[in-house]
Amino acid sequence: MADINIIHNYPKMGIPMGKLKPKRVRKNIELTLWERLYIFEIIRGMHITTIHFFLNLLGFIFPPKGKKRRIMTVYYPEEKLTLPVAYRGRPVLVMRENGTEKCVACGLCEKICPASAITIIAEEKENGERFPAAYTLDMARCVYCGYCEEVCPKEAIVMSAEYEGLARRNRQNLRFSKDKLLRPEKSVKDRIEYIRGIYAKCNY
Amino acid sequence: MVADLIESIVKILFIFGVNIGFFSPILGWVERKQSALMQDRVGANRADIFGYTLIGLFHPIADAIKVLTKEDFIPDGADRLIHTLAPFISLTPAIVAFAVIPFGGQYELFGHRVNLIIADLDVGLLFVFAFASLASFGAVLAGWSSNNNWSFLGGLRASAQMLSYEVVMGLNIIGVIMVYGTLRLSEIGAMQVNFFDWGIFLQPVGFVLFFTCAIAENKRAPFDVAEAESELVAGYFTEYSGLKFVMFWMGEFLEIVTIGGLVTTMFFGAWHLPFVSDQMLLNFFRFAGPNGAAILAILVNIITFFTKVIFFIWLQMTIRWTLPRFRYDQVMRLGWKMFLPIALINIFITGLVILVK
Repeated sequence: MADINIIHNYPKMGIPMGKLKPKRVRKNIELTLWERLYIFEIIRGMHITTIHFFLNLLGFIFPPKGKKRRIMTVYYPEEKLTLPVAYRGRPVLVMRENGTEKCVACGLCEKICPASAITIIAEEKENGERFPAAYTLDMARCVYCGYCEEVCPKEAIVMSAEYEGLARRNRQNLRFSKDKLLRPEKSVKDRIEYIRGIYAKCNY
Repeated sequence: MVADLIESIVKILFIFGVNIGFFSPILGWVERKQSALMQDRVGANRADIFGYTLIGLFHPIADAIKVLTKEDFIPDGADRLIHTLAPFISLTPAIVAFAVIPFGGQYELFGHRVNLIIADLDVGLLFVFAFASLASFGAVLAGWSSNNNWSFLGGLRASAQMLSYEVVMGLNIIGVIMVYGTLRLSEIGAMQVNFFDWGIFLQPVGFVLFFTCAIAENKRAPFDVAEAESELVAGYFTEYSGLKFVMFWMGEFLEIVTIGGLVTTMFFGAWHLPFVSDQMLLNFFRFAGPNGAAILAILVNIITFFTKVIFFIWLQMTIRWTLPRFRYDQVMRLGWKMFLPIALINIFITGLVILVK
């Protein structure tokens, strides 16, 4: 039943091993006479900072086109980073095509949540299917650990890449109900594929 | 008499305008922006008026508004009088010291002799040092009167550091005085007409020592042990807020300008362009008539002088953002065990050279 290939489906992340070269560490702490004269070492240090200053000044006056700029600061509200799939933003409920949630109200996430942020009220349809009548996630308590996502048997709750809109004046406003938590499956597709790799859920 | 009065008032207003109106607000911006550029950052750029940020130049205005609306706080148990007086004591010397620094030569203007220096004292250099040592009282009194451990430690460190570096600085200056034979700063400036008579060629060691001691005297990195943020919260001005805090800040920035002016006057040819004397400037601007030529020459003098000052401000900022802070015992050892002997040897060698000549 278990697919061995799952292990090889890990997304490629971080610096490849080939590029990680150990840096040469200078062992002798005894300073040479040249270094103890100090002034020449000061001039060497100021040479480096001055080069940085003038190159950045040039880049400031004549901004280079495209992504070639030296200063990599992100101007936050105007520019936004594309986050890696491994990023754990706020948890969202996955929505089916027809607008209903995937969740079957099994209560595992409610049980595992270390901060007791999740409250589920389960109900049953006429055909015997379970669904959450009310799913409340208290974002004031959530610690973004991702256990709910790991434990969920139906891939119904995942950590999305959203990190905005979580500052409110009243703690009551941070109790997100189902309408605020539901997101279409398309928007969290990458994350679902990623968690299939890292948690090696065998039932898919 | 009236002409003298008008001349003095114009010169005082000019120096006040340049120092307090231009340098002290702009240096806060320069410090932020230059440190940002040196460290591959962007720096302050968010304050805007109608959507125009103007590379962060509105930040000094925003800071001024913020500071003026802040609470003026005096801690419980502090000495109210001295706590209030200390920022004034540390700001005033920085402004006053510029009175004896010449920013141009002497010119005949509308039949009146104009000397481009506010107070042409015959003890100019001593006057500067007298007021530089007054500034240390500001730090010491601020630290002592705040009723705070960190302030007290900062004040102690400031007093010890400034005392020891003043000794070395005074000894450095003796070399300059021996070479030029005068204490009057306008004469020292006037003697550097010839490019190879500039102080940097006659007193190279003196320049390095003086510049280092001046930075130490101003309590900026790498000698900022008196206000070390990582050790003493903010040093001797921990308990200050609002306008009083800004006065320490302004005093520090104006002292940067004063150090720049002093170094320029003593070691880098004052208001002279290399290989150009004042008479050559007057001859060059002959076409504008005698008065016009004098005015143009004065303008060239002032621009030359302040360009040099701005270069030294840039150099001080670069040093401040390049070098890490000395440990306290290292500061003391550098001052007493290394700079003091070097300064004495410098005096000795200068004397020998003068004797041989």
